[in-house]
Amino acid sequence: MGLSLRSWIANEGGKHCILITWLSVSAWIFWRTFILYCSGAEYHYLHKMLGLGLCISRASATVLNLNCSLVLLPMCRSILTVLRGTRQVSSKKARRLLDKSKTFHVTCGVAICVFSVVHVGAHLVNVVSFSVRYSDEFPALNVAHYRGQSVPGITGVLLVLVLFLMFTASSHSVRVGNYEIFWYTHNLFILFYVVLLMHVVGGALKYQTNVDAHPPGCIPANQTRAHSDTWPNQEVDGELVAESREMSLVCKEDAHFQPHFPQTWLWVLGPLCLYCGERLYRYIRCNASVTIVSVVRHPCDVIEVRMLKNSFKARPGQVSPTLSSAVMNSSSCPTENKETFGIHVRVVGDWTACFSELLLPDLEHSEILPMTNQRRYPNDEWRRYKLQRLYFVWVCRELNSFYWFAELLCGLHRKLWEQNRPDYLNIRLYLTTAQELQNLTDEKYRPLHSRLLIGRPKLKLLFEEIGRSNQHKKVGVFCCAPKGVSRELHKLCNSFSASGTVFEYNKESFS
Amino acid sequence: MGKIEWAMWANEQALAAGFIYLTGGIVGVAGQFSGWKFAAFGIAAGVFVCLLEYPRSKRIKGTNFERTGQYCFTVCVKAFGPLTRNYYVRAFLHAVLCIPGGFMLATVLGCVCLGIASLIYLSAAIHGEHWEPILPEAEPTKHVSQSIKQPPQNPPPRPPADMRRKRLDDLEAAAYVNPIPVRE
Repeated sequence: MGLSLRSWIANEGGKHCILITWLSVSAWIFWRTFILYCSGAEYHYLHKMLGLGLCISRASATVLNLNCSLVLLPMCRSILTVLRGTRQVSSKKARRLLDKSKTFHVTCGVAICVFSVVHVGAHLVNVVSFSVRYSDEFPALNVAHYRGQSVPGITGVLLVLVLFLMFTASSHSVRVGNYEIFWYTHNLFILFYVVLLMHVVGGALKYQTNVDAHPPGCIPANQTRAHSDTWPNQEVDGELVAESREMSLVCKEDAHFQPHFPQTWLWVLGPLCLYCGERLYRYIRCNASVTIVSVVRHPCDVIEVRMLKNSFKARPGQVSPTLSSAVMNSSSCPTENKETFGIHVRVVGDWTACFSELLLPDLEHSEILPMTNQRRYPNDEWRRYKLQRLYFVWVCRELNSFYWFAELLCGLHRKLWEQNRPDYLNIRLYLTTAQELQNLTDEKYRPLHSRLLIGRPKLKLLFEEIGRSNQHKKVGVFCCAPKGVSRELHKLCNSFSASGTVFEYNKESFS
Repeated sequence: MGKIEWAMWANEQALAAGFIYLTGGIVGVAGQFSGWKFAAFGIAAGVFVCLLEYPRSKRIKGTNFERTGQYCFTVCVKAFGPLTRNYYVRAFLHAVLCIPGGFMLATVLGCVCLGIASLIYLSAAIHGEHWEPILPEAEPTKHVSQSIKQPPQNPPPRPPADMRRKRLDDLEAAAYVNPIPVRE
């Protein structure tokens, strides 16, 4: 199957648009700053002293400013939740772009690391240049106190160390294996930003303030007489020209230098305050108490907890930030005019084991599962589709896992039959390990029994079938699966479809 | 929280530190800084650390995340046996390699980062972790079931076709009992 342009644009277009915009802006500010320091009049003397190292270090610093400010914005989850819910962002495309916030955060993070390497390299060269090309002519420009002295850069070293710790703990393998290491090192971001704000106050690089009075390359006044003797004999016009040239080249004043206002503050303080405010808000909200209404134990170490929280309305697909690998399924259960919400929790870690021990003292310990992504807003993107049909494909390794939601599925199936909408919900259950003949033997789960298939789903055939039944329509694919499967699904969504159906790919991940 | 695998984080750190050491060394040598010999050492040490740390270890529990093309590196690293298996040795090795980097500005970052990685490896070693190579598992030989070699001696337990044909007019007579009991 080749790529279908329509499907590709539907799935990838917006994302790539943002990426190209970001790349263009970064390239433009890099280039602009580079040229400014290379040929700007106020940096002439500094450039003479430091050379290319100055231009590269300043240009990379500007790109770092941009990315350090942008990197915080996708993490303002409560604000993104509100944005997603408002009418301003009513377009499905915009909402799906907001879902990609984590990817954008990672992109900015990688850019920060790359440009930090460039910045540090360029500054190392600058350090040597400051030392070797110590300027006797313009002592104010010097950072070294004397020729040959090495220049301190403690804040820079600290920044690199913090970035090193954060970056190494953010790799996929560490996040999956030891989420706590990732979480705690990533919270060093506040130290990073505090040191960054101090780093730019140093004022090592200065610009010339009086370019009009002292144009770069001008001759100091006490040297003009010596110069006039050396001018060769010229014609009358030529002499006049030479004299007037002399006059414009004479410096009226000595060069004055001044360090810049720390521009980074303007870039970074806004998003930093926004993010810190948001963390505070989340912390305050987290402290509200929750009442546990009921606890049900399901097979395969899953417990279902139904809870009640004042002024909180759970929506399907919401993920609780405080629990490990929990998926919320919301259903209203009006008891005393209050709605309860439920979560299914798989007991596979110390935290969940302690949690389940408090609720049901008999459960045994199991292995480790990492904490989830702190996704606050519900993945209720499906609401945006004018839902005509719902295909529910569930792949499990063990038969008992299907019991987690068996009652819910059967109840829903029965309800739809009674409403004479039998083809609204298509359930496909796949059992990947089939050692012996297995079946959901309970009589009440009969609808599921006949929809249980052994073996992995043949996704390509499934897509073809769905495409044939829903020609020239938009099908939203919502995937919650490990990388291998989700990648395959993504590829299928972008592929050629003979029936004119467009498959829109949405993903939820927990790492 | 459960058992934290420090070695996974130490491995990422050491790989990144090796790269930083290498880059600092290149800048030092290319810029002909004073003390460029330390920078040259930094390049060699950086390359060595990157090669040593590239193959990831097998996790104690859970899925393994191999790096692209790490198999040949795994084989090389495995060949050194207990020297590479033991994390105390690695911690000591990284500590020793990072010291010369501290004498030159360009490599000082590499030195500090490798030092931190060495400390985390020490922590991993204290927790009893060790390096296990990720090797492709041999395919289990498919056992041919015994019943294939011995075809059934008896025909299936059912009456002939015309008796089995659905006789809607006489349902009572059409029913039969299997002569041989069918096992569930």
